[in-house]
Amino acid sequence: METTNIPIQQPEMKISSESAQARQRKQARKIKNTFQSLMSHGLIIFFGSFFLVPFLWMLITAFKSNEDVFHTPPRWLPYDNLLVEVNGKQYPLYNVKTDTGIRQLAAIKIIEGVGTFVDPATPSQAMEFEIQQGETKVAEPIMHVSFRWQNFPDAMNRASRPSVNANFWTYFKNSMIIAFFVIMGTLVSNTPVAYAFAKIKFPGRDALFVIVLATMMLPYQITMIPLYLLFNNFLHWGDTFLPIIVPTFFANAYDVFLLRQFFRTIPDEMCDAARVDGASEWQIFTQLVLPLSVPVLATVTVFTFLWAWNDFTGPLLFLTSPKNFTMALGLQDFQSQRSLIWNQLMAAATVFTIPIVIAFFFAQKTFIQGIKLTGSKE
Amino acid sequence: MDEVQTKKRKFTWHPKFNKWSYRDRANFKIAMLFLLPWTIGFLAFTLYPMVASLIYSFSIYHSKAPLEWNGFKNYTELFTDELFWTALYNTLYMVAIAVPLTLLFSFFCAVLLNLKVRGQAFYRVIYFLPSIVPTVASTILWLWILNPQAGIMNTVLGYFGINGPNWMTNPAWSKPGLILLGIWGMGSTIVIYLSGLQDVSASLIEAAELDGANWWQRLWNITIPMVSPITLFNLITGVIFMFQYFAQAYVFRGFQNLGYPLNSTLFYSVLLYQNAFQWLKMGYASAMAWVLFIIILICTILLLKVSDRFTYYAG
Repeated sequence: METTNIPIQQPEMKISSESAQARQRKQARKIKNTFQSLMSHGLIIFFGSFFLVPFLWMLITAFKSNEDVFHTPPRWLPYDNLLVEVNGKQYPLYNVKTDTGIRQLAAIKIIEGVGTFVDPATPSQAMEFEIQQGETKVAEPIMHVSFRWQNFPDAMNRASRPSVNANFWTYFKNSMIIAFFVIMGTLVSNTPVAYAFAKIKFPGRDALFVIVLATMMLPYQITMIPLYLLFNNFLHWGDTFLPIIVPTFFANAYDVFLLRQFFRTIPDEMCDAARVDGASEWQIFTQLVLPLSVPVLATVTVFTFLWAWNDFTGPLLFLTSPKNFTMALGLQDFQSQRSLIWNQLMAAATVFTIPIVIAFFFAQKTFIQGIKLTGSKE
Repeated sequence: MDEVQTKKRKFTWHPKFNKWSYRDRANFKIAMLFLLPWTIGFLAFTLYPMVASLIYSFSIYHSKAPLEWNGFKNYTELFTDELFWTALYNTLYMVAIAVPLTLLFSFFCAVLLNLKVRGQAFYRVIYFLPSIVPTVASTILWLWILNPQAGIMNTVLGYFGINGPNWMTNPAWSKPGLILLGIWGMGSTIVIYLSGLQDVSASLIEAAELDGANWWQRLWNITIPMVSPITLFNLITGVIFMFQYFAQAYVFRGFQNLGYPLNSTLFYSVLLYQNAFQWLKMGYASAMAWVLFIIILICTILLLKVSDRFTYYAG
């Protein structure tokens, strides 16, 4: 291809006293821009810290040792006892006020406020000190920055209630099973319904669609009690996953709406052409529309996962024995039973959050697109 | 004659089925098959529970004993129930304070995140991240943050010379604590606003700039009216959400202490849950649910009516 260059007449540059002024003005504008950009960054970071710091605090606490959790004022990094090896075993190192000044000694054991200490250099000589004498602390543990990874297995292996053979691995597995079937059910049941509303011209379609949308208005509290009785007393599904999973196989207004919005963007002419060629509606649906709808199916999948993983009320109503708890229910139970071990609680909360963060980073666009779709009604 | 004939016929898809064209009839039949999942779900999980709930709401029902007709007594009892008014007050407090606060702050954050700065994408992720933390996890995290002794909230307030309150035990501060938790996780509201801000036409802003409008005037006279439909959407969804506020309040206090301290976190749905599943007053709880539905309906209609004057729809 040939391009024709049109010569552009450059206006003659005037080099005069004006240029100094112009330079000055340019510089002033530059300073103003830098100032504005600094201000912007400052504001964004200031308010951003409100979002970031609690999130980081969850991670930091998850790595804290038991000694560090209740340290006041709270420390911004996880600290743990400095350990020293004595006779092949690890013992915490203490600063101990002795008659000969402050010495660093290893605490072999501490019983009822009295500690047995040894000098790591001369392990045979044991000394006994009271940790606290009146107001003054005689022995103080030496702490250093250390990430206690052990909190994670500790929290995960720990049963939320004593004498119950269910821990967070069980809850994690249950949540995954529920999420899997809920996603299946949502995809299988909502797509044909949305297809009918988007692509089949049948009498009464708009009126029916209004009814679908109207069900969104109904608060869950109204259907909650009859559904509870239906599933528990009539179908005897109490304490199983069925009351949570089965309804998702029967379509819901949100996903029907979302999918219909997308299906409508697929040109009708394509479907009509397929019809002329003798394709049935089912063939058009499965072989033409669904393959073209991968992005919106991804959105529905991600959001359904998020919803199922997050859901608290459903499991709370229907799951009663800990072996069937989901992560959400298990974490709440754990917190209500042992409310003071914040490091393990935060470790469990982190494990609970991780799958969603991973999903987010893999499908960031899908996430944002989905939120925008729910926010933009016709 | 016609009526007799239609009654004789075993099954018709639709009252006017026979008057339709062949094409319409075929489409209607096939569409009904496609709609089957929704139809069954609607009948079993929406329509049946609605009818049942309405019947329960007019009766005494404990799920173990048979239903006992009670007339309007559940409804009249509600209005003399002190707990009902407490729960309603607490819920209205959240609707009236938390929802506008969340909207205002999320709009502000969206404006910040719309500024052309380097690292914009990174900043957006930071603001959005808390909203994907599961509700139970974020509530427990905030219980820890608001811990009066070792929590970081009061520590950070201390840096500014503020003596932080006892968030957990002071009835005046328990709801603000929950509001903070809500604001922390409002990322999706920010995203919706942000997409609205991106749709505000640049030429309009430029024109105003040429006319000498400053940043504040442009925001007040162009941006805010242009995103007003989004504000309305966020407002209505926020109000509906707040009336049904449950999981956070439940996790905040646990089953044994629902409403603690001094019923200050006893929200409408929490009281409803207590009535239904703790005290097994299912009829009474159903009446509460219908009253809630009516309140939500009235609020939504009012908002839509009032907003007509304030909302601008482009195009």
